[in-house]
Amino acid sequence: MSSPSIELEAQLIERTVAKRNETLLRAEESVKKILQAAERECERIKAESEKQILSMVSSELRAVRDRIIGKANLEGRKILMSAREEVLSALYNEVKHRLESIADGKDIGIRYEEVLKKLLFEAVSAIGGEEFIVSANKRDYIFFKKNLADIKKEMREYARDVIIRLDENIIDAIGGVIIRNPEDTKTYYNTLDARLLKARRKTESEVAKILGVI
Amino acid sequence: MERVISIGERLQKLLEEAERESERKITEARRKADEMIARAKDEAENRRIMAQRGDGIEDLLKTEEYKAKQEADRILEKYRERAEAIKKVPREKIEEAISLVLREVLPK
Repeated sequence: MSSPSIELEAQLIERTVAKRNETLLRAEESVKKILQAAERECERIKAESEKQILSMVSSELRAVRDRIIGKANLEGRKILMSAREEVLSALYNEVKHRLESIADGKDIGIRYEEVLKKLLFEAVSAIGGEEFIVSANKRDYIFFKKNLADIKKEMREYARDVIIRLDENIIDAIGGVIIRNPEDTKTYYNTLDARLLKARRKTESEVAKILGVI
Repeated sequence: MERVISIGERLQKLLEEAERESERKITEARRKADEMIARAKDEAENRRIMAQRGDGIEDLLKTEEYKAKQEADRILEKYRERAEAIKKVPREKIEEAISLVLREVLPK
C-alpha cells in the first residue's frame, strides 16, 4: 500500500470518528435539554398545583391563623388590663393608707376631728329625722363620747336639734360613721371606707387618664 | 483501493450506528420526560383531590400554624412591653391622682 493511500485512510477514519463523536455529543446535549425542560415543566405543574391548593385551603389556613393571633390578642389585652388594674389598685391602696394617716392625725394639713364631724352632719342630713344611732370605730367612738355635747350644740347651730345615741358596738373601719334611725329602717354608711369605694367607682376613669393607663 | 472502500463502508456503518444511538437516546429522553410530566400531573391532581377532601394539607396547616405562632409571640411581647410601660407611672401623676380621690372621699 502506498503512503498517500494510508494517509487518505487515516484522514477518512479521523473525520468519521470526529463526526460520530459530534453526533453523539449533539444527542447528549439534546437529551440534557429535553430532561431539563421536563424538570422545569414538572416544577411549573407542582407550583401551579400548590397555588391551586393554597387557594382551596386558604379559608382553613386563615382560620388557623385567626385562631392563634386572636388568642394572642386576647391574652395581650388581659395582660394590659391586669397591669392597669395593678396600677389602679396600688393607687387606691395608697389613698387608703393616706386616709388611715389622716384618721390617725398624722396628716398635719387635715384636722380629722373636723372631717369626722362633717361626716356625721352629712349623714344626719341625708337620713333625715330627729333621732339617730351612730356607730363608729373605737377611736372615733371615744371622740364622740367625749365631745357629744359640743357636737350636738354645733349641730343645733348648723341644722337642727337632734338626738344622737352612740352604738356600743364598735365597727371595723378606717374612720367615719354609720348612722341609722331607731326603727332601723334607714341606714347611711358614711365611713371613709364606704366613701373610698364610692369614690373609686366615680373617679376610676379620670384617675386612669391621669396615670396614663387607658 | 478496495481496502479503502471497505473501510469507507465500515466507517459509514459507524456513523449510522452513532445516528441510531443518538436517536435511541433522544427517544428514551423524550419518553422519560413524558413520564416525568405525566407523573407530576398525576401527583398534582391527586394533591388537588386530597386537598378538596381536606386530606394531605397537614403540612400547609403546620406551616401556617408555625408562622402564626411566631407572629403571636411577637404580638404578646409587644403587649408585655406596653404593660411594663403602663406600670412605670411618674410620681407626680400618682400624687395628682391621689389628690383627686382624696377630694372625692373627704367631705367638703
